[in-house]
Amino acid sequence: MFFTLLKKELFVEFRSREVTLSMLVFGLSIILTFALSSNVSPTIIANYAPGMFWIMVLFVAVIGVHRTFSYEKEFDAFSMLISAPIDRGFIFLTKWISGFIFLTIMEGLILIPFFKFLMIDFPSQPWIAIGTTLLINCAIMAIASLVSGIAMRARLSEVLLPILLFPLVSPVIIAATKISGSIMVGDPYSFWKIWLLIILTVIVIFGLVGYTLFDFITEE
Amino acid sequence: MKPFFNNKTNISGMALIAAMMLFNVWNVIMNTPMVPEQHWAQKIFYVHVPSAWVGFLSYFIVMVAGILFFMKKDDYWDVVGLAAAEIGTVFMSLVLITGPIWAIPIWGKPWIWEPRLTTTLILFLIYIGYFMMRTFGGHIERVKRYAAAVGIIAFVDVPIIFVSVKFWTPEIQSHPQVEMAQQPSEILIPFLLSLSIFTLLYILMLKYRIHVIRINSRVRADV
Amino acid sequence: MLSVSNISKSFDHRTVLNNITFHVEVGETVILMGKNGAGKSTLLRIIARIMACDKGEILFQNNDLLKGSPLVRQKLLYVGHASAMYTILSAIENLQLALTLRGTPVEISRIQDQLNYYGLTNQSNDPISIYSQGMLQRLKLAYASLASWQLLLIDEPFSGLDTEGIALVNKSLHRWKKLGKSMMIVLHNQSRAEELGDRILRIKKGLIA
Repeated sequence: MFFTLLKKELFVEFRSREVTLSMLVFGLSIILTFALSSNVSPTIIANYAPGMFWIMVLFVAVIGVHRTFSYEKEFDAFSMLISAPIDRGFIFLTKWISGFIFLTIMEGLILIPFFKFLMIDFPSQPWIAIGTTLLINCAIMAIASLVSGIAMRARLSEVLLPILLFPLVSPVIIAATKISGSIMVGDPYSFWKIWLLIILTVIVIFGLVGYTLFDFITEE
Repeated sequence: MKPFFNNKTNISGMALIAAMMLFNVWNVIMNTPMVPEQHWAQKIFYVHVPSAWVGFLSYFIVMVAGILFFMKKDDYWDVVGLAAAEIGTVFMSLVLITGPIWAIPIWGKPWIWEPRLTTTLILFLIYIGYFMMRTFGGHIERVKRYAAAVGIIAFVDVPIIFVSVKFWTPEIQSHPQVEMAQQPSEILIPFLLSLSIFTLLYILMLKYRIHVIRINSRVRADV
Repeated sequence: MLSVSNISKSFDHRTVLNNITFHVEVGETVILMGKNGAGKSTLLRIIARIMACDKGEILFQNNDLLKGSPLVRQKLLYVGHASAMYTILSAIENLQLALTLRGTPVEISRIQDQLNYYGLTNQSNDPISIYSQGMLQRLKLAYASLASWQLLLIDEPFSGLDTEGIALVNKSLHRWKKLGKSMMIVLHNQSRAEELGDRILRIKKGLIA
């Protein structure tokens, strides 16, 4: 059932491309806004680049995760999932994994414009940067998928989602900025080990909490 | 349901706690020593730290109430969670007000990203979201489940938030109260007394708020 | 087959269902009737575990439906007002998904046969976002025909259908009744209710009248 659900998430997105396209376009708009509003030297921008990148990712993640839950409300499609004889925690897991995949695809497409528009150098350790980025995406989407599941049926879901999500995800953003900043300047692993542990803790804890709570929050 | 203050225990509890709080204020102002370099500003800690303790205790109770609400499907735990969330937010607001009041004469500015204050601010924002969700979440029976879930998630996040903020700006020193346990008895005893009185005040406020919310629910149900 | 005990449900303190208790025996067809807003759809959605109840107990085949494992509802099928399908997917894709999630995948040829039976041959590969109300209703019935169930919860099966569609649905419901399957059907038409049902439950002011 788990793989059926995951295939459904990916197939629906492959058919519609709503989530990744909207995330990509929104992400590009944010980068453009950053570039236009940053009237400072590239050296100064490089210091702020990690924070700017993760702010952009967070805003884009909100758009994406809101959309992945919104289409469930059309024609009451979500009822198909929750009335089926399946573990509802799987719905959370598949939303989490598919959201992670869409976010990673968007980041892959947006990376070059980000570095080029803001005139920043690529990290000297690209594979470490990619690996840590994947883990951070995982952490962000774990919290975002859980909060979106809570907010999906609310009256102002598009407003409630970021209001609930942003404070909850703040440790991830702090850790992400620290990790990216350290990797950009070539700091050794010992400098950013603690932040990686925080990211891993978030993934484990929110993965478990989301899987457990989803059954209670999916019913109308 | 009888009025809350018709109950002898409640009314005498309120009178006692009011008296204790007045004594506490007098005690802090008149009997606690002046700390060198901080003078009168230091005395705000006899309010600031107990407020933080009560705030975090309250949010812990929101989490426990959320878990019990899911386990027992009893609306009573939703009422406890809501009451604890409201009172916790009031005390957290006190923390966010008294912190800068202390900070201005000591640090020269009202805010620095000190771990405890920052954690308090983040939790406070989470609970603003909690109350917005309660208002816009839909019909009350559904909102109860969402509120329970948010209460659990919020407190689960607290240690992660605290650790991340602590390592974020290690160069910023924590409040001096981290050394409270090593303080001399003329500071420690009034501090512990203030802490106890605030806790008793919290228990009374929680009981009262639970009572009011239950009356409100009954009135709305009858209408 | 199904035992519903003391089910209550409120929306913003307005009681919609008040200690509803009833049973559905094996092979029995129970018709739910009542005014708009009486709580008929709400009751079906609670039994289907799409909506949470405030209190009560539901046993399906002697297993606790509300607290038990998801597999308890394997033989229970809910067909509601909305199509409960993905607008971007075609009828075939939606049915394949829904049936696989129920643990009973079906070959495309059988799905196509049912869609042909319900008059959806030409639109079977189109996204259901273009379907009319009547077409969606037929699609739901095709789903009910393909799925494996012992108890069907179906909400206004004749809604939005033309004469031919009504005849198809009528035929299907009678066929399932003859096969000894249990059904709970929400209907508004008294004569149809008496023709199809073994028993009529009327919900009035949150209670079974």
